[in-house]
Amino acid sequence: MSDVPTLAFQDVHKAYALPGGQPIEALRGVSLAVTGPRAVSLIGRSGSGKSTFLHLAAGIDAPTRGTVRLMGRDLGALSDRERTLLRRDAVGLVFQFFHLLPHLSVEENVLVPALVAGDDLAAQRSRVRELLGEVGLEDRAAQPVQKLSGGEMQRVALCRALLRRPRLVLADEPTGNLDEASGQAVMDLLLRLVRREGTALVYVTHSRELAALADETWRLHSGLLEPA
Amino acid sequence: MRGYFARAARAQLRGGAALRVLAVTGVALGVGSALSIQILNQSALGAFAGSVQAVSGEAQLSVLPRGPSLPDALVPAVIGTPGVRSAIPMVRAEAAIESPRGGTLEVVGADLFAASRLPLSSAEADPGAPLAVPGWVALTPALAQERGWKVGDPLEVSSGSRRVRLQVGALVDFQRLAPLSSRRLAVMDVAQAQALLGARGQLSQIDVVAEEGVDPGELSRRLEARLGPAVRVATPDQRVSEAEGLLAAFRLNLTALSLVSLFVGGFLVYATVQASLARRREELGVLRSLGATRGQVLGLVLGDAALLGLAGTAAGLPLGWLAARASLGSVSDTLQGLYQLEAIERVVLPPWLAGLGILLGLAGAFVGSIGPALEVAREDPRALLAARPAGRASPRRDWVLALGAWGVAAAVAAATLGPGRRWPPAGFALAVAVLGAVPFTAPLLLRACEGLPLPRRLGAAYGARGLAGHLRGVAVAVGALAVAVGMLVGITVMVGSFRETVVRWLGATLRADVYVTTPSWSRARGGAVLGPEVLEGLRRERGVRAVDRLRQLTAEAAGRRVTVSGIDAGLPEGRGRVEVIGGGEAEALRRLRDEGAALVSEPLARKAGIGQGGVLALQGPSGPFQLPVAGVYRDYGAERGAVLVDLATLAARFGPGPDSNAALYLDPGLDPEAVVERIQASFPGKALLVRSNRTLREQVLSIFERTFAVTRLLQGMAVVIAVAGITLTLLVLARERAGEVALLRALGATRRQIFELFLGRGLGIAALGLALGAAGGAGLALVLVEVINPAWFGWSIGLHLPWDDLAFEAAVVLAAAAAASLHPALRASATPATELSRDAL
Repeated sequence: MSDVPTLAFQDVHKAYALPGGQPIEALRGVSLAVTGPRAVSLIGRSGSGKSTFLHLAAGIDAPTRGTVRLMGRDLGALSDRERTLLRRDAVGLVFQFFHLLPHLSVEENVLVPALVAGDDLAAQRSRVRELLGEVGLEDRAAQPVQKLSGGEMQRVALCRALLRRPRLVLADEPTGNLDEASGQAVMDLLLRLVRREGTALVYVTHSRELAALADETWRLHSGLLEPA
Repeated sequence: MRGYFARAARAQLRGGAALRVLAVTGVALGVGSALSIQILNQSALGAFAGSVQAVSGEAQLSVLPRGPSLPDALVPAVIGTPGVRSAIPMVRAEAAIESPRGGTLEVVGADLFAASRLPLSSAEADPGAPLAVPGWVALTPALAQERGWKVGDPLEVSSGSRRVRLQVGALVDFQRLAPLSSRRLAVMDVAQAQALLGARGQLSQIDVVAEEGVDPGELSRRLEARLGPAVRVATPDQRVSEAEGLLAAFRLNLTALSLVSLFVGGFLVYATVQASLARRREELGVLRSLGATRGQVLGLVLGDAALLGLAGTAAGLPLGWLAARASLGSVSDTLQGLYQLEAIERVVLPPWLAGLGILLGLAGAFVGSIGPALEVAREDPRALLAARPAGRASPRRDWVLALGAWGVAAAVAAATLGPGRRWPPAGFALAVAVLGAVPFTAPLLLRACEGLPLPRRLGAAYGARGLAGHLRGVAVAVGALAVAVGMLVGITVMVGSFRETVVRWLGATLRADVYVTTPSWSRARGGAVLGPEVLEGLRRERGVRAVDRLRQLTAEAAGRRVTVSGIDAGLPEGRGRVEVIGGGEAEALRRLRDEGAALVSEPLARKAGIGQGGVLALQGPSGPFQLPVAGVYRDYGAERGAVLVDLATLAARFGPGPDSNAALYLDPGLDPEAVVERIQASFPGKALLVRSNRTLREQVLSIFERTFAVTRLLQGMAVVIAVAGITLTLLVLARERAGEVALLRALGATRRQIFELFLGRGLGIAALGLALGAAGGAGLALVLVEVINPAWFGWSIGLHLPWDDLAFEAAVVLAAAAAASLHPALRASATPATELSRDAL
């Protein structure tokens, strides 16, 4: 296994300019390294900078200062296209509100990353079936996603995030829009899947119980990162 | 609420300027298109009315011939009729100006002493000059300025093959009397005009001024009773109304086409209002929560749409004016060539027409916005404040709408085409029903796209396949484009079929090698004749095997003014030059020669209900007479109808007269172009137009193309509006579906892939619009070819698919759609992944 961290934040700052006001600093000198297939949880209150952290980790946003490295590559030194392709090939994303495409079926939603990458869809379909089987939705593959419950939707989103075997999964409040039982089930599934796949996981949650399921837990407070 | 409306309107403008500009463009083009046709219609009728007013002035009545002309001898009888204060004999004709620039004069020969209302300048006009100076003519200052003529200058004109020298005697501003009268009006003494036209003793009309207190209606009846059946008496209003009737089909046709643009413009308003309401749901929900009534919300939305309508109309009025001006030449040529009416020289926009334009713009905006406005006004505050609905109607509703729309079309078809039902306007109702059903099919077509296999990668194909995911907005764009394409395809097939039919007809009937006529023929028709010496000369020309003569005049047949042509029905070389419907040309021509029978043109046969074996009632100089009908022949030269008889019959019924045209059959092997040059050189003192068979065909087809120039302009405007609809829809999608784009960006889609996705959506809309429009257009073409043309214009057309034209138009629509997608695609591709929010999908 390489010693290169899958994700490394080094003294990362991120400030946003408010219209007509002072800049607001969402992250202030955050440093963190995730090496190997570890599960890392982030907890913090609303507005503490959790989502900003994930955006920077995915290369969706750029830091104001400091360095974010993904698979050893400095995201700040990459072009938008290079960052996009790196995210496509190395990162899987799970969102609080699932963000499934309503006009596609369950199977097609899982296949979207393969479509984006231009993969051989025929080959990927067996992977889709395998993942849907893992989350207990293999018999729902052809159904429209609008017919699924919230928990089922998030399970589809997990499959989508893992389809292309990413090195890192970033999950933003993956259980935030689910009831407690569904949330627990989804979190268990997520952890089981990433551990089986050997994928690093960084997830954000409000729940101390769910955060405790990770290998390590960090707390974001007013833009500062500290061990929980 | 008014204050809030103003603030909200400003905010709307700031928030969605591009959408509003597109909607305004749609309304502007729709209003411009509809208005331009109404301006042309009014200008055409105005030109005719202006000519009547300028020539007949204060006269309450005009005595007109039912045959070709009136004899001079009738004037005393008119004057002697009780109640007539004065009678002004007149000769009217077209003369060609003999100059490299060409052009024609609308010559009016009148009793200039009686016509004292003409504003002759006393400084320039010697009262005796019109009679004393040979060729004295009064012209309009506008024409004199255009040509650089001054009082006293000579000018050469031709009437038929005769060249005549005139002299500018006075400059008279006839347009002061009748603003729409022609600047080509040339007034001279009646006797001089008769000499010029070679029509001694013949008049075109006698204008009548009634004594004070005499009822014109009563006087009209008295005159008709006294003068006999060879004349009719009409008021100026009746004559204008007759012109209106003559142009009814032409006007209705163009009006219907122009309204398609307005219809498509209404779709753009609908799409804009939908997009605006999608963004304003929360705002309207808050207003409703704070006590705003449903009526106030409705007023807010309709007021917003009215602003769009007003802005569109403000741009549409000048646009309509410019479009009318651009089409003036081609429409004017059609009116003169097909209907022998006055040329339109200027376009007019009377205040009531501008008012109509404003009304059309507001109506288009209202119709486009009322549906979504009512829908949002009906919702309660809680629903408005909740997350936006998916906007996907049930498939059942889509089926009901589509089947309902096509059911209406089928019902109209049954009513139109059913046995014994031939109410001409029903054809237009059927065309509207077919075109109107097209957009209702769009949702079903979009749903069918969902079943397509998933493409191999994210890009254009994925974008096109996913259109059904945004059914509501996309269906509107597809429907609007389909209507425009339907019109495009329908008209293209109709024009292509018509063109092919005319080409075949020309191929079958233009049998001679060289055609000889005169420069004034195209305008003066029967009034332009070849001198007998010309015909003699042509017979003596080397290599001329036979001369086929044609004499033409105008007379009343079956209650309408038609052209009556005499040909040598026994000429062996002329076989095949008349295409008799149903065959039997030889027998028909034999009957023309031996029995004095007549052939009637297809339009006349249809409109007057005459056919082979029937009897045709014609008006000759000495009263009505009847001819047996030997058959119906194809003719695409005169919508109002034509009659063909043998020259001997024409001479027997209308008296002897000169020929108008000659067709020459050459010895085999001779080059027609060389013969044309030789003939032109052989008659140096004559005004002749000599053309080979090939040149004549080319010129006929060129006139044909020009006839449809205005139609092409209308087609273009409708397509531009529809393509603007693609931009509008994609901009709405780029904004409303920013979350989907952001998700794809978050999942690793590059900007290029997003760009391609939107390009695919634009091309997908275009492809669906083309497919649906092609189906609707095929239906429309059938209605135009099989129902409207026979019923309104009277001619039958063989259906022909102009594949080259259709393929070119499809390529243009796709290219335009691609161009229309560029801006929204670029905008969407710039969407960052951070746009992903809770309500994004």
